[in-house]
Amino acid sequence: MNPAATAVTASGGEQVVFWLLASLTVFFAGLTMTRRNPVTAVMSLVGTFFCLAAIYATLSAHFLAILQVLVYAGAIMVLFIFVVMILNREEVSPVSWRPTRLVGVAGGVYLLVKFCQVSDLGLPAPVAIPDTFGTVGSIGDMLFRDFLYPFEAISLLLLVAIVGGVILSRSHRKEVDAELAAAARKEVHDRQLHDYPATVDEADALPASGGGHH
Amino acid sequence: MPTNYYLVLSFILFLIGTGGVLMRRNTLIVLMGIELQLNGGNLAMLAFSRALGDEKGHVFAFLIIALAAAEAAVGLAILVGLFRGRQTVNLDEATLMKR
Repeated sequence: MNPAATAVTASGGEQVVFWLLASLTVFFAGLTMTRRNPVTAVMSLVGTFFCLAAIYATLSAHFLAILQVLVYAGAIMVLFIFVVMILNREEVSPVSWRPTRLVGVAGGVYLLVKFCQVSDLGLPAPVAIPDTFGTVGSIGDMLFRDFLYPFEAISLLLLVAIVGGVILSRSHRKEVDAELAAAARKEVHDRQLHDYPATVDEADALPASGGGHH
Repeated sequence: MPTNYYLVLSFILFLIGTGGVLMRRNTLIVLMGIELQLNGGNLAMLAFSRALGDEKGHVFAFLIIALAAAEAAVGLAILVGLFRGRQTVNLDEATLMKR
């Protein structure tokens, strides 16, 4: 009597759901990578993420399923859509057939075949899990007890990404304009200093005297 | 379902993403391929987490999702910068650092 063997056999409904979701996921992923129109590709990617969220839910990962919909299908895909709308360009030849890249893809397919052959060897059978497995409470508990430093590190990474994104996508033209405006202001200031030295000195000295009281 | 089905599915997702990254010329599609690769990794993480009854995999998947958000933000900002500088999103024309 092997309890693991009974745990492995899945019910018929579970199998139907898995095969449906898996085929839909692969279909949408293939559509994403083969479509010429970027908008179609983004929409297929959203479909992929929704199907993946459903698969996560079948794996008892409820919190991650919600997160997948919120962050991936929500936030990241909106970002993609914005960029697609900004730079909607027609592609002349979407696929590059370079030999080295083809070799890379062929090697990946060979690895997949080998992986399918060996993947049922030595894998642990799914064990029984408590009811709270994958809920927000239990994951949050683990996240803020055992993984506090990685959590803080990832928040730092997000901060760096925000700053990097702002700096990278900042318009250089605006920067030049700002420099020109600063130079113009300085010129006006210098001219005031030259024409009316007393008033400008008084205006400059005001904050200093105000600070002296404190 | 047995764990190996989920693992093969995650491998297929990663492979589709890798194919897109290697073979497509549009930088946007390449970034989407990277997202697919990360999702394949996430699926394997959650499948093992379910198989072992250990929630550490969920935490890792959570961190990977945050990482993917950061990666998408910076990658798309670089893409916008590339488009502003060279008027193209074609990877084969982005040769500034190859000369």
